[in-house]
Order: sequence, then C-alpha cells, then structure tokens
Amino acid sequence: MGMIEELEAVRERAQAGIGEAGTLDALDAVRVAVTGKKGELTALMRGMGRLSPEERPLVGKRANEVRQQVEAWIASRREELEAAELARRIEADAVDVTLPGRRPVVGHEHLISQIVDEITDIFVAMGYTVADGPYVETEYYNFTSLNAPADHPSRSPRDTFYVADPTDPQPGSLVSDVLLRTQTSPVQMRVMEAEKPPIYMISPGRVFRPDTADANHLPQFTQIEGLVVDEGITFADLKGTLDHMTREIFGKDRATRYRPHFFPFTEPSCEVDVSCGVCHGEGCRFCNHTGWIEILGCGMVDPNVFGYAGIDPETYSGFAFGIGAERVAALRYDLPDLRMLMTGDMRFLRQF
Amino acid sequence: MRVSYEWLGTMVDLPADPADLVKELIRTGTEVEAVERVGADLENVVVGRVVSCEPHPDSDHMHVTQVDVGDLNTDAEGNPVPLQIVCGAPNVVDAECVAVAMIGAELPGGVKIKKSKLRGVESCGMNCSQRELGIGSEHEGGIMLLPADAPVGMPIADYLGIADTVLDCEITPNRPDCLSMTGFATEVGAVLEKPVAVELPDIQREVRPASKDLVTVAIDDPELCSRYVARVVKDVKIGPSPEWLAQRVTAAGSRPINNVVDVTNYVMYLTGQPLHAFDLGKLKDRDGKRSIVVRAAREGEEIETLDGQVRQLTPDMAVITDGGETPVALAGVMGGMNSEIDDTTTEVLLESACFSPGHTSRTSRDLGLMSEASIRFERQVDAAGCAEVADIAAALFEACCGAEVCKGAVDVYPEPVTVEPITLRPSRVRQLCGADIPTDFMVACLARLGCAVVPGKPGMPIEVVPPTTRPDLTREIDLVEEVLRLWGMGYVEPSIPAARNHTGGLTEEQRREKLIGATLRESGLNETLTYNFATSGDLERLRMTDDGRGDAVAILNPLTSDQGEMRRSIVPGLLRSVAYNIDHGVPDVALYEQGRVFFGRADQAQPDEPHYVAAVYSGQWRQDGWDQRFEPFSFFDAKGAVEQLAAALKIERLRFKTANPEKYPWLQPGRAAEVLVGKERIGWCGNVHPLALADFGIDAEVVAFELDQDKLLAHAQEFRAYEDIPTLPGVEVDLALVVGEDKDYETVVQRVKSAGGKLLDDVRLFDVYRDPVRVGPGKKSMAFALTFRSPDRSLTSEEVDKTMGKLVQKVQRSLGAEVRG
Repeated sequence: MGMIEELEAVRERAQAGIGEAGTLDALDAVRVAVTGKKGELTALMRGMGRLSPEERPLVGKRANEVRQQVEAWIASRREELEAAELARRIEADAVDVTLPGRRPVVGHEHLISQIVDEITDIFVAMGYTVADGPYVETEYYNFTSLNAPADHPSRSPRDTFYVADPTDPQPGSLVSDVLLRTQTSPVQMRVMEAEKPPIYMISPGRVFRPDTADANHLPQFTQIEGLVVDEGITFADLKGTLDHMTREIFGKDRATRYRPHFFPFTEPSCEVDVSCGVCHGEGCRFCNHTGWIEILGCGMVDPNVFGYAGIDPETYSGFAFGIGAERVAALRYDLPDLRMLMTGDMRFLRQF
Repeated sequence: MRVSYEWLGTMVDLPADPADLVKELIRTGTEVEAVERVGADLENVVVGRVVSCEPHPDSDHMHVTQVDVGDLNTDAEGNPVPLQIVCGAPNVVDAECVAVAMIGAELPGGVKIKKSKLRGVESCGMNCSQRELGIGSEHEGGIMLLPADAPVGMPIADYLGIADTVLDCEITPNRPDCLSMTGFATEVGAVLEKPVAVELPDIQREVRPASKDLVTVAIDDPELCSRYVARVVKDVKIGPSPEWLAQRVTAAGSRPINNVVDVTNYVMYLTGQPLHAFDLGKLKDRDGKRSIVVRAAREGEEIETLDGQVRQLTPDMAVITDGGETPVALAGVMGGMNSEIDDTTTEVLLESACFSPGHTSRTSRDLGLMSEASIRFERQVDAAGCAEVADIAAALFEACCGAEVCKGAVDVYPEPVTVEPITLRPSRVRQLCGADIPTDFMVACLARLGCAVVPGKPGMPIEVVPPTTRPDLTREIDLVEEVLRLWGMGYVEPSIPAARNHTGGLTEEQRREKLIGATLRESGLNETLTYNFATSGDLERLRMTDDGRGDAVAILNPLTSDQGEMRRSIVPGLLRSVAYNIDHGVPDVALYEQGRVFFGRADQAQPDEPHYVAAVYSGQWRQDGWDQRFEPFSFFDAKGAVEQLAAALKIERLRFKTANPEKYPWLQPGRAAEVLVGKERIGWCGNVHPLALADFGIDAEVVAFELDQDKLLAHAQEFRAYEDIPTLPGVEVDLALVVGEDKDYETVVQRVKSAGGKLLDDVRLFDVYRDPVRVGPGKKSMAFALTFRSPDRSLTSEEVDKTMGKLVQKVQRSLGAEVRG
C-alpha cells in the first residue's frame, strides 16, 4: 500500500474514531492516536524521508490536508461534546426556584423607633434640630414653668409619678418635687433657657404616666415635642408645619382639622385631627363615626412660658406641639394592644 | 356637661338639626362626646285610637281591641287598618286614645313587642301604662288614657313633649362658664352669632323675719371661701317637683328627689353656681338665730356626707359648721347627713357660696368624692353672682315648694371681685394669627361673649372688660384665642416659617447614636423597648454589683410593686423579654436596646441618666433551613457585635480582657470579658451566669453585652487614616503552635507579630485544636496563616524561610511553644 492510500486509511479511521468518541476523554484519545507524538499520522509523516523527492511534496501536501482535516473534525467534535457536556451540567444544576432563598440575618428596628425616625427626618429636612432632656425632671420644668396652675390635677400623684429626692432634708419623705416627666414639654423650657431664638427644634423621648398598662394605655410611652420660636411666627405657620407633617406621615390625601382646645402652656391651643384613612371622612368604626382621628395637641407658646424662659413675647412668638408615637403606630397598623410594643416578642418585632 | 337641646333652645335660636350645632361647637372648641336622643327608646310607640273593644272570648278580664294607628298599619292595598290588640287593663273599656307599642318597639324595661297570641287571639302590639313607657309610676290604674283629640299615629315622645336631644359636652378646665346653661347659651350665641335671652324667675313676695334675723354667717378664712350668701325660706312643703322641673333636672343628669333639692340642682345647672339647702330646723337654735361658720376642718374631724359615707377630714379641707362646732357640710363637695332636707323639713337655709378651687379640688381628690358641685368649684365659680343666684332659687322655692321667702339675704363678701380692663390690639391679633381678621369681627364676637367692649379709633387698641363668669380672660392673648376660635382656625391659610439665620440637622453624636442602632441591626440584632422602670432587687437577682451604678431612684407612687424604681441596667428588662419569648414558644432571641439608665446620687435631686446599649442572645439566629445551618449563639456572637460596633464607629483601641469573676458575678466565669477602649472600661460581654438566668425564669443559655454608650461615643472618630492597598503578592505560610492553656490568643498573636518583624503583614488564626495525646494535656494547638509581604519588592523564598526561621525561634523561646509539623 502506498503512502497516499495509507494516509487515506488513517483519515477514514480517524473520522470513524472521532465520530464514535462520546466523551471529551475519548476524543482526546483519538487525537493522541492520530496526531499525537506517537500517533499514526505523525508516524507516517516521519516516514516521509524514505520517499523520493518527486513523491515527497505530493504526499506531504496530502498529509497536511489529512492533518488539517482531522484537526478540524476534532475541533468541531470537541465543540459538540463540550456543548453537550455543558448542557448536561446545566440540567443537573437546575434547582426548584420556589425553595426558600438564603436570607442574611438582619435585625429590625422597633416600630416606635421607626416612627420617631420618620418624624425626626421630616423636621430635620425642614431645618430643625433635635434636643433632649432628663426623664427624671423637676416639678418646675414639667409643670410650673409651663404655666400649669399650682393646683392643676395633672400634678397629683394620680397623674404623675414622683420619685424620692435624695437631697430632701427629710429622708423617707413621701412628698417630692422630683418626678418622671409626664410630657416632653419640659425640653421646651430647657432649650429656651439654653439657646436664643431662632429656635426650631423637636425632642423625641419617653414620658411616664401612672396609667395601668392595658390595650390602650402604657405607663411609659413616647412623645415627639416640637418648638419654634422666632420673630413673626403665626398660627398660620403652626398650621402649615403640622399639615406638612401630617401628610408626610399619613399620606398626601389626608385632610386636617384644627379644633380649639386648652393646654396651660399654649394659647391659642388646639387639637389636630386627621381625616380617617379607612372611611375618608364618611364615618366608620375606626374613627368612632366622626370621620376624624385626633393625633396631636399644639398651640402658640403662652406669653407666661416665654416669661419663665426670659424671652420677650413682644419680640418673639412661637408654636409648640406634641405627638404620641404609640398613637401613630396604633393608627397606622390598627394594633389591637399597645402592650405588644413592650414585650420584645420576636414575632412582633420582625414584622416591621 | 349634659346640655338639653330643648332647654338650650329656650335661650337661643338653634338650628333644627342638633348635628349642625355639634359641628359648630367642635369647630369652636367645645368637644361633644355623645349626642343622646331622649325618648328615642320609645320608637314605634305612637298615639292610637281605640275603635272597638270587645271582651275576650276565652278570658274573664281581657279585652280584644281594634286600635287605629292611621297609615302606620295598612292592608295589602295600602289602606289603613286598625291593629288588633289584646289588652288586660280594666280601664281600656273607657279608653278613647292610648299609647300603642307597635310590633318592633322596645320598651324601657327591655320588653320587646312581638306578634303573639293570647288565649288563642292574635295580638299585634300593646297598650301601655306610664310605667311601661318609663315616664311615670302609674301602672296599677291601668293603661295611660289620652284625650280623644290626640293625633293618631304621632310618636308618643313627640306627643308628650319628652323628645329631646342631650349633648354630652366635654368642657375644658379653663371654661367654668360652660358648666351652666346660661354660660353655654352665651357661648352658643357667640358661635352662631345669635342673641341670647334667659328668662329668670322673680321673687313675688318677701316676708319677715328677714334672713339676717334668722341666720349669722362667719368666714374664718377668706382663702377657703371668698363669699357666702345665705337666704332663708319657710313654710316649705316638701313634695315631688312639677313635671317641667323634674324633666330639666333629669335631662341635666340628676335624679329628681324632691322639690327643694331639685330646685337647688336646677339652679346649679342653669347658672353654674352650686347651691346647698340645709334643714334650718336641724341647726342649733342660738337665741332664735342659726350660726353658719365656714372654717378649715380639724385634724381627726369626721362628717357623714349625704351618700352615707363617714369622711375623715384634714385641715386642708373646708367645712360648713353649726356655729363653728359640728360640721354640717363638706364645703364645695357635699352636704352632711345631719342637716339633710327630708319630708318633714319646713324651713330651709339656702347656701350660695364661692369656695376655693384649690381646696375643693384637693378635698375631692383626697376623699375620692366628686360631685356636680365640686366639679364647678374646682374650676372657679363666679363669686360676683352668688346673691343673684340665691334670689333665683328663692323665687323657685316660692313657686315650686309653696315657700314663703324671708326678706333679704346674709351676704359675707370680704373682697368683691374686680375685673381689670384688657387692652386688645387688633393688629396684634392679626399678626399672631396670621389671618386678616377684621376689627369689627373682634368687637362683635367679644361682645357676644359677654365682654364690655369699647372700640378705639381705627387702628387703635380696643378696651375689653370680660364678664366675671370668665376668669380665664385676663390677658390680651386670652382674647386673641377667643377671636381666633370664633373666627375659625380652619379659615387661617397655612404657611411655613422661613427660619432665617437658622440651621438644623442632627449633631455628630446624634448621627453616631443612630449608627450604633443601624450597626447592631446589620449584625442581626432586633431592636426592642423595655420599661425604664425596674423591680426592686433586679440587680441582686441578676447578681450584678451596683458598683458605679449609683443609688436606685425610688418611685414614691408606683403603679405596681414590680415597677417601683428606675432601672440601673437594661439587661434585666431584656432578660424578661427572653423569658417572654421562650415562654411563648420562641426559642431564638436576639435583642438590643439603646436607652437610659438612672444612677441616683446622694447630692443630686435628679439622677445621672447615662445612655447605655445592651443586647441579649439566646438560641440561634433562626431555625435551620433546607440549606442553612446555624450554630447556637456563643460568647463570640456577642463579642463580634461589639467588634463590629467599634469598627463602625472607627474606634481603634478596643480590647477584651478576661473578667475577674469576683467583679462580674453575673457572668459565667471563663466566658466573661471586660470591654475596654484603651484603658477605659466601657462595658462587659459574656455568658450570663446560669444561676442568674434561673432567677429570671430562663432555662437556656444567654449571651449578653452592655456598654456605656456615652463612653463608647466619646472614642468614636469621624475618619480613619487611609492605608495603601498592597500591589505585590504576599507569601502565605502556615504555622501551628502548641502552647499552654494559660497563654491567651492576644498574647500569642502579639508575640508572633513582634517576632515576625516588618515583613509579617497579616496573622490569621484558623484553627484551635486540643487532644490530650497528640497535643498533650493542658495544651492547645493554634494554627495561624501568616502572610509575608514587602511593600516595594517581591519576596524570595529564601527571605521568607529566613524570616520564618527567626520567627519560630523567638516564639518558641518567648511562649514556651513548640511547632507542630
């Protein structure tokens, strides 16, 4: 058999081998057997030296053709096999995408903090500062300087927690003028004493009242106080500011209503209602059939309060307000029982 | 305050629908808590005409009546047909018109009227007696007979004139005037811009002897009582009140008692001035005169009040006494049993006085005794009106009790009330309200509120003298409020203040406080809130020393014994939350709280209130998932969170030091660390001692930390210096050291680092291994991955080997360590 025939035979065997190779390994074995260092084709080509100079270019050309052809077949077969292999792998890798995802463990912020943050952000965006004051307060800051009359019922131990005063010359005395603040309003006085107008501040924090814990009451709850003192502050400014806050918290479509009311430390005073989000003012169970829900108390700073703070009420005017975070939470989520805010129940905390 | 719409309507022209007035009241600051329709329970009870009445075929006393109710009952074609009603009352035979309770009516006693059969005869309703309708006591005589011309089909409540609407109003403490019908009418007149007219009865005839010849009055202390007016009426005939009087008193919320008591109540509701009627005959006769002395009660003194309770009095309370001796009434709150009006009373001493708001309020509160009188005195009664009110009551005693009115009154009024005029600047009103309210409106609305108003020239202030019934109006701002609320807060156009020359925003510290919370949440902890109260003994139960935690701040009037003081640590509250979760079937708990603790100081009235941050871990992050497994929480979860906090706050010198068990008895020895920044102790971290957990009812492991947030924040930095990122590859070499258990990680690492020199770039512990045989007893093997790197060249393996050789030598020497192959 001449070289040409032999080359042809190698070519045919290679073709058959490549066609039969079912795996990349098998294909590689074919490659080695044909074009490897010890392969058939390589061996044949090595034997070309024995050919006559006339035959050599012919056979050489042919051998190169066979080689290229075989390599092309291998390459294309490799592609096929690789594609099949990939397809197999992908198929084996398929998952049930409805299985639960691998969620990172991340904690949740308490609902009340979220509301405090939300309200804080609203006012900070309007250029307010955030102030703070002691929880254990004096009667002066909690009541007297806020214009509460000496006999005001809110001062009674029925409405205010009093704490023992270690500096009282009579140890064990049951009368004290140190108390747990019943409102965030004492911070108003502390800020007015410490700073000169213009004052634009809010003060979130805990307050305490002797209400037995039940579905609608907690002896400790959270208020956000607001105070503005500047030249030319008007009742219209109070309305504009609180309208903005109300819509930010409850939604742009909600209306507000200002009902005159009485607080010792503001005059004129009012309570603010927001239109019911359930019935939109028609009246339903949620709003006690009034169409409105009370959300906060507010008013223009009483000149007597300015007097205690040493601010001239003829030069400056201002407004103040207080809103309860628990109340906002209860309204927004229709919470059945406020006590769940205080238990630390993981199932509750993780909902928000 | 219960306001009868019918009564109010006699004083001021009202809208037909009470709901329209309610809207206006709410708009102007009177809260209406409830609108009650009186007579509403008589729905479906109407006037009916008895068209026939036949004896019941099967009964010897009942009758079968046909009762015409007009078109309220019709046949299929819509023609009126009478109702057939079986009636047991004997007087039905005389009846022309009756009160018919139709099917569907529910009578005051709870009886529901249904179609029924009585001894075989169908009955479609009931003919009612007064008692059945709840409007009188008459029953034995049979059903209520109405005149023949009574309008058939008219609701009985309308026919009898008992239909009324009562507004239950919440009156704010600054408005004592609105606790009277006249005051309320004045308010309504101002709100509706309508005139108000109140008709008051006059005394027809006065007789001798004069009141002053029968009674003397002395006020011991004008601070307790600023005015006392006494009038005497005689020949009183005690009996039931006339219907109108009983109806008004009922509508206002009192039970009719007898004509004398009802008159005093009626006049109180009318004028806001509480009155008291003494049985003159029960006071001691002192030479033909009775003596009233108002004085402070004495320590230990007692009085039996009209509700039958014996009250212990204190010197803060005021009493009306018989000649300074026996108390006969608790001033401003309630009368005494010993001088009560009864059926035999013929002479009445009427008191119209003004008692101090403060004393009345404290008396009422201290005795837990609130009355219509005390509610009014607490908010201040108009002293200027006492005499006039006494006259009104006397006139009614004359009209309703057949009394003879003794001439004049005894009036002790040491310091008559004066009202100072207030200057109101209309421009100031407009400026404060931010609304263009016309001066004319201010003048008109203040006048309607009963103020004497002297308008100034255009642009000039107005002089306003408020009525004595409005003690809340003393300053210009008080008038601004009146004008604004009557103008309507809703009409003020909202604006946002400009805040010139003011900047806001959170302070750096406030931002960092929030960062602490955010970092802890990123670390997997959930924020919770617990009470700032503590149970006395919480620290002892936890075995926590009060070292550095000051004295407990005791609450003098705690609600419950377990909230008797302020907390000195956040951890007990968090442990209660752990117990709560476990008790409710939630074993995996990871909670933190940022809050205050309260450290009392002997020389401070107010305690220190540092901010703390604390966390507890129990169980594991979550229950295992299909491809996620969680380890039970360990000391290192808590420590990791603290490290993360320090990293977030860019605190560089955070350290953990083994805690001395004697100083940290609430922690499990061996799993307890002090947390330090540099040399400052800022908190602790560790496994809570099993015995402490048992005392909090927890049967699970709990890891916790508590840090002084203020101290933590003091070490926080805004920036940390930039470090070059390595550009050249490092060479990693593993090193396993066997050291004694007494050598802690910190020591070993420090020695390795110092032995490694400049080329040692990083040391990472990747395994700790103990084995009594292969490692040896009392020893551990610590495996480190060391990275050698130079910032300016690639290291050769010879260099690394050389450095490594030196390192091993030094470490062996300084730690007594051996190197494991």
